[in-house]
Amino acid sequence: MASSLQLQGSNNNNNKDERYLVLVEFAYIHLNFQLAELESILDMYGIKLGSSSSSSSSSDCVVIPLPGQQQQQSKPSSQKRRPYVILSFKSKDAARLSAKQKSQEKWDFATTTTTTTKVDVKNAGIVDILSRCALVKSILELWGRGCSIEDCAANTKHWTTDTKIGRSIFQKVAADASQSWKLTIHTLGTKYSREEQENMRQKFSYLGFQGPVRMKEPDNEYVLIREVEMDGKASPLHAVLSAGGGETKSGPENNDDDKFPALGVYFGRKLGGTSKKGRGGLEQYNLKHRVYLGPTSMDAELSFVMTSFGQVQKGSIVFDPFVGTGSILLSCALRGAYCIGSDIDIRVLKGRSQDENIWKNFDQFNLNRPEIVRTDNSIYHRHFRSHRPLYDAIICDPPYGIRAGARKTGSRLETPRQILDEHRHDHIAQTKPYPVSDVMSDLLDVAARTLVMNGRLVYVIPSFKDFNIETDLPRHPCLQLVHSCYQPLSAELGRRIVAMKKVEEYDESRRDNYLTSIWVNGKESAEKCANLRDKILEAAKQKPGYEEKAAIRREKRKAHKHAKKEAKRRSKVDIAS
Amino acid sequence: MRLLTHNYLISNVKGTKDGYPLRIEPSEVTVEESPFDQDLVTRILPKLDYAAVKAALSQVVDKVEPKPAEIPESLPDGEIDSPTLEALYHVLFNIHVIEGNLVCPDTGRQFPIKQGIPNMILHEDEI
Repeated sequence: MASSLQLQGSNNNNNKDERYLVLVEFAYIHLNFQLAELESILDMYGIKLGSSSSSSSSSDCVVIPLPGQQQQQSKPSSQKRRPYVILSFKSKDAARLSAKQKSQEKWDFATTTTTTTKVDVKNAGIVDILSRCALVKSILELWGRGCSIEDCAANTKHWTTDTKIGRSIFQKVAADASQSWKLTIHTLGTKYSREEQENMRQKFSYLGFQGPVRMKEPDNEYVLIREVEMDGKASPLHAVLSAGGGETKSGPENNDDDKFPALGVYFGRKLGGTSKKGRGGLEQYNLKHRVYLGPTSMDAELSFVMTSFGQVQKGSIVFDPFVGTGSILLSCALRGAYCIGSDIDIRVLKGRSQDENIWKNFDQFNLNRPEIVRTDNSIYHRHFRSHRPLYDAIICDPPYGIRAGARKTGSRLETPRQILDEHRHDHIAQTKPYPVSDVMSDLLDVAARTLVMNGRLVYVIPSFKDFNIETDLPRHPCLQLVHSCYQPLSAELGRRIVAMKKVEEYDESRRDNYLTSIWVNGKESAEKCANLRDKILEAAKQKPGYEEKAAIRREKRKAHKHAKKEAKRRSKVDIAS
Repeated sequence: MRLLTHNYLISNVKGTKDGYPLRIEPSEVTVEESPFDQDLVTRILPKLDYAAVKAALSQVVDKVEPKPAEIPESLPDGEIDSPTLEALYHVLFNIHVIEGNLVCPDTGRQFPIKQGIPNMILHEDEI
């Protein structure tokens, strides 16, 4: 269905071409979260993303379709996600947006999110803004695009010669003989010979850059990207075999043109990108480097994406009511936030030893320690005085009973035993199971009360495929849904990250009404995220080979137990002798 | 536990009439310097119970080394000058009670603080 891009108004100098275009290239990971993260970060700078169906000439920032994409993504899930987005800005914003210091061009995610940077809405360049996105890999000032190299070259020529903004930018950078440059070609893992790459470069030689070529740290880096379809693992996807059943032959120039047809071709000037080939310094936050981990620690990228959804920045006050090992709060602290965490479970808070506990993760990265309190979120109002809205964001991964069962204080008995005064100090409080539906209702209620206006609640909720956003997500009149992004973990089960924004002040007199309206379909939809451990077990039992695998696991556990016993016995004998 | 956190904690054991503010009985206190954030402290001041801040400081100050700068008797209206904001920031964010107890002014119930973490969990007969 590939057709060459219809150039809108290519023959008349109309408003639609007088826009400043930016191509955002994402890392090939968490594809469902990319646009949402971008939206939240842009919103922090007062930039609202409009859709391309709205009047393009008046919106400050609009997403325009990629080559080959339909105008409106009516069913976004049915179209394969591509790791690119084109943002269209007003041309009057071009100078401010493209302004940057040389030092900012290669960002290390670590340094751009530390405690020193504050959001500067008026003066922010596009690099300042987008480098806050964990999932963004690079940013190009887009000069042209198309479904083929020829189309892209033609589009670029049109922009640099027929549009006011294109001409002015061209004058500033390309026509300036003192500015060095180089032209890089990205073919996304497909192979091209030297001659073929030279051929591609030649198609753009009409641009006639005046300055000298410099391979290392030139003033301007121009980039030509040939986008191909990717498989699920960030490798180029082979084209479907031809009807004859034989493999499509490579072209005579020994390149991959036919095996990997182009989805889109882009040409532009690089404004900035992550410093290392991989993830711009994100690797240092990988869980495998952490001093203290637990079974519920959240992976680094997703934690950072959650902080983006929460618009966490220097000076934000962030609360995590289910803090566990503190992995989410760590990401918030790296964004410069003042962090408060609470948990009912003393074991994760205390850690395994002096050297392995929640503080050490923060010490490891030279951050201020978070405030940790041991409280029960189901009775938040009995631990904390009623206070004016305090938190800018509440970000958490609530316990939903798969790897960590949720508990709340209290006895299962109708009338619990009285604890004697002399035992009070050492008494370990009893806890009872805390149904997931209540975990979520209490969370939304606490958020509605304690978030500042426009503050954000971000949480993770597991769901099976039969989850329906409209009816199964918990809701609250004071909170508005902003994002709901799904990450599949297996064929049936996945995780949803939800972001909500406080839009109405909490009215204490309506508390009962709030709590009963949280689950639209009542208990039925609450059930969908409850008892997941049982559901997963049921689903696993249906799979073939389950009995054999279960038997193998039983044997292994037995052998392990036996080995431990033996070791203990032997050490006792050694001590005795 | 920082004094900022203490400002929000209450005791709401069954039958308690007024469990705020909790009295701090510190046995170990440390001072951790952190970069002064003027915006943060300015934003948070209107949300505090200032009398409780002063009470908390008086309860821990004997164990604080070096001695913190004085904070005002009451919060001035309008803009607060930078040295005062710094003193307030220091008291709220840099003083940590590592070991001790928080005591309910009404019932005397003690909530222990261990390794900087206050344990506010209610026992099953207190709910």
